[in-house]
Amino acid sequence: MSNLVRSELLKIRTTSTWWWLAIGAFLSIALAFAFNAWLASETLTGGGEEFGYTGDAASAPAQAANLYTSGQYLGLMFVMLIGILMVTNEFFHQTATTTFLATPRRTSVIVSKLIAASLLGFAFWLVTTVIDLAAGAAFLSLNDFGTQLGEWEVHRALLLNLMAYAIWTVLGVGIGTLVTNQLGAVITASVLYLIGTQVVGLLFLLLANLMDNMAVLKWQVIWPAAASQVMITPGENEMLPVWWVGALVLVGYAVVSGVVGVLITRRRDIS
Amino acid sequence: MTHGRPSPTNDAQIVVSGLTKQYRNVLAVNNLSFTVEPGRVTGFLGPNGAGKTTTLRMLLNLVTPTAGVATIGGHRYPELTNPLGHVGAVLEASSAHKGRTGINHLRVLCAAAGLPRERADQALELVGLTPAANRKFKGYSLGMKQRLGIAAAMLGDPRVLILDEPANGLDPEGIRWMRGFLKGLAAEGRTVLVSSHLLSEMQLLADDVVIIAAGQLVRQGPVDQVIGSMAQGVRVRVRTPQADALTAALAQGPATVENDGQGTLLIGGVDAPTVGRAALAAGVELHELTTERPDLERVFLELTAGKAGIR
Repeated sequence: MSNLVRSELLKIRTTSTWWWLAIGAFLSIALAFAFNAWLASETLTGGGEEFGYTGDAASAPAQAANLYTSGQYLGLMFVMLIGILMVTNEFFHQTATTTFLATPRRTSVIVSKLIAASLLGFAFWLVTTVIDLAAGAAFLSLNDFGTQLGEWEVHRALLLNLMAYAIWTVLGVGIGTLVTNQLGAVITASVLYLIGTQVVGLLFLLLANLMDNMAVLKWQVIWPAAASQVMITPGENEMLPVWWVGALVLVGYAVVSGVVGVLITRRRDIS
Repeated sequence: MTHGRPSPTNDAQIVVSGLTKQYRNVLAVNNLSFTVEPGRVTGFLGPNGAGKTTTLRMLLNLVTPTAGVATIGGHRYPELTNPLGHVGAVLEASSAHKGRTGINHLRVLCAAAGLPRERADQALELVGLTPAANRKFKGYSLGMKQRLGIAAAMLGDPRVLILDEPANGLDPEGIRWMRGFLKGLAAEGRTVLVSSHLLSEMQLLADDVVIIAAGQLVRQGPVDQVIGSMAQGVRVRVRTPQADALTAALAQGPATVENDGQGTLLIGGVDAPTVGRAALAAGVELHELTTERPDLERVFLELTAGKAGIR
């Protein structure tokens, strides 16, 4: 199995696609960091109400946690795309043939892709977090807000961020095995991730108004990107489920897509 | 041989038995059985759409058969403990990532098969592709792609080679190289199964042939035997300005004469000396007298006639 994981990582290292995705992810970190830094500085100097930040959300640890996880929104999409490409590339470039000739046990191939994907997700998280921590701590201490690095809320945000990166990469592999058409999978997944979440949010808002029950909004969590948001958001109220509900939903999606992907791949004719 | 284990000599034998593949609308392969022996080059022939590629892919577990089984050395492909060390396959020229270099393509496969990295360099050397090792696959010519495919197949130094249309896209020099390469592998005792529709090339290359049409076996055996088995055997070709006189002279014997009306006769049923003697006796002037043996192409076309390729 370790041979196969090594082979999968080598596949990624030896093409330029992932470089483009990495560059995209880091650009989005830079943009998100600048925005979050401005937000933190406004909020922590008493302007939080303008942005809807009150109470706990306006506290220094909450703002620091937000700053230290900058770039997550687009970063998750990029690692998902890498996961998708790990599978669809094999069909687009017809390398599935040589891959399955070298390893006829197809379950092992998909499982090694899942392992390689989560390693990659971890690497993305690590680099992102190092950048965010260095820049964030410098920014917060320069503005006399304190780095907040001892706060549990910050630790929690970093750990859940790691979990999100790993799960979204795995989810990408799952999506790739279900939709092997490269362009189809990439476009569908990006659109659903970027626009789908707003559409789902709107639908649930309409539904909540129709039923005159704001608790309906909680059920947005069944949408993966919404579940991801729930998972990283501290606290709980009548419209927001507790974080582990989001985590469970997200893990559920990853497991189901992975298992279905393995089953489909085992039966697929490669021609 | 009391147990099911194959003996070492059978380690490289391919056995296809009752193989069938039903696609939604097409019966691509229909109850196909044949064997391929080590130490020989076996040509796998058939018109386009006859089911050659599907058969090879079923043999390699890439396509699941509807019925039947194919084994290599007594094992189904996924049961082989070291697939690349046992079987090398070249299936399509374009099966590498376009943005990856040739050497990296092979290194990825080495990693997956647990082979040392150096095997990638050795395999490239073997097919003469070392100068293009660090060039990206999209910059390769069709012939270079074929060579890279063969390099990939040779990574594990396999005892069985399976190639689907390897001569496609090769220039004459490349085709000659391929012929020598494959004959050399067979001479080392390896099993070489090559599908092709280039019949003149196959006649030069193959020891045995398996001919299929419309998904079914038409004929299997050594090339000479298959050619010899045809009813239309040896014919004598004669060019003469007195075609009618010669036809009349041969009319008494067992000869069958085919006249193209432009001075060329194709005579069956008698040998060249008999025709020469008859011409001399009748005072007929000859410009050409040659023995024509049927070639693989003629036999193939006769055997597969009427079995439409496109179904």
